[in-house]
Amino acid sequence: MGIELLGRLVRNMVARPLTVSFPTESIPIPDGYRGEHRFDADKCISCGLCASICPNKAIELVEAPPDRREEYPKRYPRIDLRKCCFCALCQDICPVGALTLTKNVFLSTFDPAGAVRPPFPDRSE
Amino acid sequence: MIAESDSILAEIRSDLGLEAEIYRPRRGRMEVPPERLLDVCRWAKGRGFEHLSSISVVDRLKDDLFDITYHLWSYRDGLLLTIKTSIDRDDPRVDSVVPIWFESAQVHERELHEAFGVEFVGNPDLSPLFLEDWEGPPPFRKDFDWRIYVRENLFGQENEREKPYFE
Amino acid sequence: MNKREMISSEETEYELFFGPAHPGSGNFSVRLKVDGERVVSGRADPGYLHRGFEKLMEYRLPIQNAVLSDRICVFEALNWNLLHAEAVEELLGIEVPRRAQYIRVMMAELSRIQSHIVWYGVFSIALGFETGFKIAFAYRDYVLDLFEMITGGRVYPAGYICPGGVRRDLPEGAEERILAALEKVDEMLAWEETGAPFFPERTKGVGVLSLEDAIRLGATGPVLRASGMKADVRKDDPYEVYDEFDFDVPVLTDGDAYSRYRIGLAEIAESVKIVRQAVANLPEGDFIHPSLAKPGVKVQLPEGEVYVRNEVARGEGAMHLVGNGGTNPYRVKIRGPSLLHMIPVLEHLLVGASVADVPAIYWSLNICPADMDR
Repeated sequence: MGIELLGRLVRNMVARPLTVSFPTESIPIPDGYRGEHRFDADKCISCGLCASICPNKAIELVEAPPDRREEYPKRYPRIDLRKCCFCALCQDICPVGALTLTKNVFLSTFDPAGAVRPPFPDRSE
Repeated sequence: MIAESDSILAEIRSDLGLEAEIYRPRRGRMEVPPERLLDVCRWAKGRGFEHLSSISVVDRLKDDLFDITYHLWSYRDGLLLTIKTSIDRDDPRVDSVVPIWFESAQVHERELHEAFGVEFVGNPDLSPLFLEDWEGPPPFRKDFDWRIYVRENLFGQENEREKPYFE
Repeated sequence: MNKREMISSEETEYELFFGPAHPGSGNFSVRLKVDGERVVSGRADPGYLHRGFEKLMEYRLPIQNAVLSDRICVFEALNWNLLHAEAVEELLGIEVPRRAQYIRVMMAELSRIQSHIVWYGVFSIALGFETGFKIAFAYRDYVLDLFEMITGGRVYPAGYICPGGVRRDLPEGAEERILAALEKVDEMLAWEETGAPFFPERTKGVGVLSLEDAIRLGATGPVLRASGMKADVRKDDPYEVYDEFDFDVPVLTDGDAYSRYRIGLAEIAESVKIVRQAVANLPEGDFIHPSLAKPGVKVQLPEGEVYVRNEVARGEGAMHLVGNGGTNPYRVKIRGPSLLHMIPVLEHLLVGASVADVPAIYWSLNICPADMDR
């Protein structure tokens, strides 16, 4: 028992660590991981199923910002990530595949207002 | 096991005069009036149903009743027997089965007393189990909506007990 | 006052709080009345994690309840998912496709393996053996990587086992990765055979639970099997496809904390056998019943009641589900093994124990405050 332990000790001292140095490297995240949402407004038909299935009522259907309202006249999902539990029921129920979950899990922020994701994010209002 | 189960049905009919039904393999059920509950449970314990899996209360608001179900498992025969009894919702009292299954029944009844307000006559300790300083009605009843209760009684109020942490 | 006066029983009795903010007790507290070094009695004080699941489930659809059911006890989330899914399917009267049943059994056994690894880890750290804790949580990560690949989340599978089957099929290459992770679990079991030398000294003869006390107090699962009774819901009351697998149920007769520790390790070995058989015999087919393939379909739960029992990692879990024709369940009663282990069994075992043995007794029961409070 003692000799085997010594051998293992020496091996561990010269081996690479099991962990990676996080901000510069990261372990690969597999496909299908439930992370941040991605919404494709061109496919959305405004059926409202995502808002009704969400167990935490994190999705609310809102109108598009004024300068896009002509092209997108219906209502689209705004997701409150503070309430979301990332269960992907909204992705499974969407009949056209407009709402999907990506692999981005690096969502921590100090700004609570930034955690509410509007359907058209490139305009601030 | 099916032969065993049929013989149990025959024994229930002859010893207790009640009808039971085997509705799928390893599951039987029967209904008893509340005054015969203790005899039936005593018979079941003697017949080999030594494990009380759980006790459950269902609030039948429309019929003004509480349905109390006892789920008993017999290690010897491999059968789960469900005994159901119904009591009046306005005066919910039923005999406690603590004299038959001892401590394992006591903790289930204590939890149901707190959640539904059912009084189990003969249980040595019905003090609150999960909730502390709770002054409202029994919370699992169907006529209690906790969202309305919280909004009227607790929302926006100062919490006296937590005050020192914010000073 | 002089020494003789000080050593009288009134001066040496005091009350000791073991938890809830104590690092060795989790989200649960026990009030111990101690006389010198001996515990006179203990009173359990639960309720720190009460979220009212039984009432919350009455306001949600079955698929939403599947997401909620992982939180009944997060360490064995897939086992509780399976229990809830079986209850809904039995009420609806539908039959799950065979491929889905095999995948479900495989995931439930992987969940049991990682739950027992956590048990080993926290048991070690409660006795001060920090290396054991690190070994356990390091090897647990291999199983969590499998969950990440199959269900999309490491710890919360978000209702992966849902009424009707499973939410998504196994990805490409899953079988090889599962077998590779099982090799790592075997490696961890080989470490445990050598064990820490002080483990038997601190746990042999401590917290002895006799068989008749165990049955009277309502113990189930590993706690009952360590006291001598060969009872396992997977064999006595089979569900899913467990009757097609070949595995043993380990039983020990001493009933002390050391037997409970060894039973956990023996059960990991049996679960590894089941997963290997499942991977080898996995049939082709659908992964979910066609009528429930899209969530949100307004399925009506018919009138009736069912009672389903499963062997979750900690003991016997059961669910009493009542439907009344609506889309939401009318009443859900969840029976967790820890309610019986933490209140009657713990209070019985603490009488007469020495204060230094309290962590060994407490953690050898493998309790989970979450499935007690729900």
